[in-house]
Amino acid sequence: MKPRQEWKASDFGMPSEQMTELDPSRFLKLPPPYEDWDDGEMQSLSEDQKGRIEHSLDGVTAIGIPKPASPEEAEKRVADFLEGLRKLLTKEDNWTFLQPLLLSMENCVKCQTCNDACPVYTSSGNEEIYRPTFRGEVLRRIINKYLKPGGKVMAAFRGNDIELNWGTLARLAELSYRCTLCRRCAQVCPIGVDNGLITREIRKLFSQQLGINVDELHGSGTVKQLQVGSSTGMNPTALMDIIEFAEEDILERTGLNIKIPIDKEGADYLVMHNAGEFLSWPENLQAFAIIFEIAGVSWTLSSEQVGYDSVNYGLFYDDFMLARIALRQARIAKGLKVKSVLQGECGHAHKAFMPIADRVFPAELNVPRESCFPLLEDLVCNEKIMVDPSRNDFPVTLHDPCNITRSMGIVEPQRRILRKICPQFREMTPHGVNNYCCGGGSGFAIMQGSNFPDWRNKISGRRKFKQILDVFQDSIGPETRKYVCAPCSNCKGQFRDLLGHFDAWERCRILYGGLVELIVNAMVDVKEPFIEWDFH
Amino acid sequence: MPTQELGGKQVEVDEDGFIQTPEEWTEAVAADLAKTEGVAEMGEDHWKLVNYIRDYYQKFGIAPMVRKLCKETGFKLKYIYELFPSGPAKGACKVAGLPKPTGCV
Repeated sequence: MKPRQEWKASDFGMPSEQMTELDPSRFLKLPPPYEDWDDGEMQSLSEDQKGRIEHSLDGVTAIGIPKPASPEEAEKRVADFLEGLRKLLTKEDNWTFLQPLLLSMENCVKCQTCNDACPVYTSSGNEEIYRPTFRGEVLRRIINKYLKPGGKVMAAFRGNDIELNWGTLARLAELSYRCTLCRRCAQVCPIGVDNGLITREIRKLFSQQLGINVDELHGSGTVKQLQVGSSTGMNPTALMDIIEFAEEDILERTGLNIKIPIDKEGADYLVMHNAGEFLSWPENLQAFAIIFEIAGVSWTLSSEQVGYDSVNYGLFYDDFMLARIALRQARIAKGLKVKSVLQGECGHAHKAFMPIADRVFPAELNVPRESCFPLLEDLVCNEKIMVDPSRNDFPVTLHDPCNITRSMGIVEPQRRILRKICPQFREMTPHGVNNYCCGGGSGFAIMQGSNFPDWRNKISGRRKFKQILDVFQDSIGPETRKYVCAPCSNCKGQFRDLLGHFDAWERCRILYGGLVELIVNAMVDVKEPFIEWDFH
Repeated sequence: MPTQELGGKQVEVDEDGFIQTPEEWTEAVAADLAKTEGVAEMGEDHWKLVNYIRDYYQKFGIAPMVRKLCKETGFKLKYIYELFPSGPAKGACKVAGLPKPTGCV
């Protein structure tokens, strides 16, 4: 195996069992009490899996691509890929993202300014293949050599050669799932090249043309959501059972008798939550219901399939699935005649249903859509609900979901709330639009197969875990309860795994949760503490 | 799709050992699945949990929310982790013969 720093894009097409072996001794160092933390070995695939599944990038598998049955099948897939690549570069077949893709492909000067901004690259100990520019360069070389006239002659001459074969493709597909699409690279680029977008478009090519995608995002994700109503499998009958339980639970916990409105025509807001709030973090769903009830907000949930689950994993990998889900959701909002659709605490749903859906909605479906944070700010800061901040007198920090903050610029409303209700609120470094991803972005938090979670916990979430430890250093011991406010369902899923992996609840008493839970915890109308200091 | 010997027969499982056809589930299959999740022997409380999850799944097509699971069985989450070290979703649901949890849960 070549020394890792010498890998070049041209090596991507060379046959090898595995391009790189990740070395935990090179990973980003963590502050106390983790200065002597032993990461152990990277979890490797079993010999049986290695025989069946492509793992020639770094020994990790996100997709689980089966090895082709014959050389003919491999050749056919290469031809399919080139066909898909041509489509990706034409207006008729890629009207959604062609312009930003071309601007990024054609203008990157490889100055590498973006490298240090990438949490995956830096956490891994500068693993060459994780450089933000690496995948774009592989794709660029393939385009130059295989799609441009005279490309094959010119490639060797120009010194930017690459061999396109099945191995190249299997590695490139996997490599497109070693980036959380956080877009910090695009933010620091002097000319705005968006390697996150290039990565997403590579995923799209593989999904739309070759049917190569991650099961949690596609078969058990968007496809299931369109069939059943939610990627979790939550059908309308299960939804009603959960809502009934949530109402009883609110009564038991707070003494408040609240009816959660369902399918109320003409309400001001159709509230759309990530299904995770129903199943794993019902306190979030309940907190929204309590706040809106006390403040007198006119709102409703939908009980129609897809209308009660705001997720849209199409954002991460496939335009067709993205459009199908967004259109279903918009039609449901139209049917309920609500004034606006309010997105709850879910980052990718914010982005998918607002700026990105703008690219696919016809005029008649262009329903008003908004984020929950400005509304919550109005209710808390203009005293439409009364709060007693002394109830939140413990260290609190805010994690900025990339899609909400960096991508959409919603920065201050959530902070103004926290400054008002949390006396020990403190900011991580960096934060706001310069935040670091939780490490679970672009669908990673729900990708639980094979050895991928091991990679996610050790590498993509590492920078964020370091930030969390850093911000709580003044009270890092388990005698002080601390709260990471993560107003995004996907980020919460990642924090559950990440803090669990590092045993941070036992060692440091670090809990994670949403924003509305903190608000309700401080509300004078709610007599008992709402936050249960119980890691789940 | 790999297969695994569970309860004295070959059963199709996914890459993480979740059985693929719920109809294949028997108590003997469950007992063998439990061994793969670090549970040497299924006790009364293990069965209480697994049976509740199975019943809920058969009625609603989905695993019960963890909060409801705790309330209905009277088990604290911490105790569920003692019963099934890999937790309710990955451990108990697998033993109950449910497919691997999907979506943001």
